[in-house]
Amino acid sequence: MAALAQRMVTALTTKGPVLAKNAVEFSKPRLQTFWYYAKVEMVPPTPAEIPKITEGFSNLIKAARTGAWMQTTVREGVRNTVVVAEIGFWFFIGEIIGRRSLIGYNV
Amino acid sequence: MAPPVAVSPLIKFSRYAALFVGIAYGSRKNARLTVSEAEVRKIEEKQKKEREERERIAKELAAANEDTILK
Repeated sequence: MAALAQRMVTALTTKGPVLAKNAVEFSKPRLQTFWYYAKVEMVPPTPAEIPKITEGFSNLIKAARTGAWMQTTVREGVRNTVVVAEIGFWFFIGEIIGRRSLIGYNV
Repeated sequence: MAPPVAVSPLIKFSRYAALFVGIAYGSRKNARLTVSEAEVRKIEEKQKKEREERERIAKELAAANEDTILK
């Protein structure tokens, strides 16, 4: 038992830094691609884009009113559904953060 | 690598709006539930004490009333 613990400690001290370095080297290019896309797609909207936001919103309302929504293709409909689902998921992630617990409310 | 897509600002805005609404909703519901759970716990604590009191009295009565000579 003591020999096992000793072996574990020596393995940790010798292989630990190597593993950490390998993990860092593995993740660096992937983090780079993530950052490359996130810089453009995930950034919150700047105040300069507010008129575009209102314009997009009014486009939505206009499409709902004039019945242009009936002309959407199935492909577009599926894409819109996935976009709305993603916005819903952001809400649930926010709720997880707000209640500070992964699964339920820790009362 | 495909170039990054120019996401519509409406979508970006609604994402972060949903995130903040979710955080606010979660934290407020958490606060509300901790308060109500504290009250429920208080009531249950009181009921448990009364129940244990009654059980203790019933046990003592039962122990006093049983007819054995092995006392």
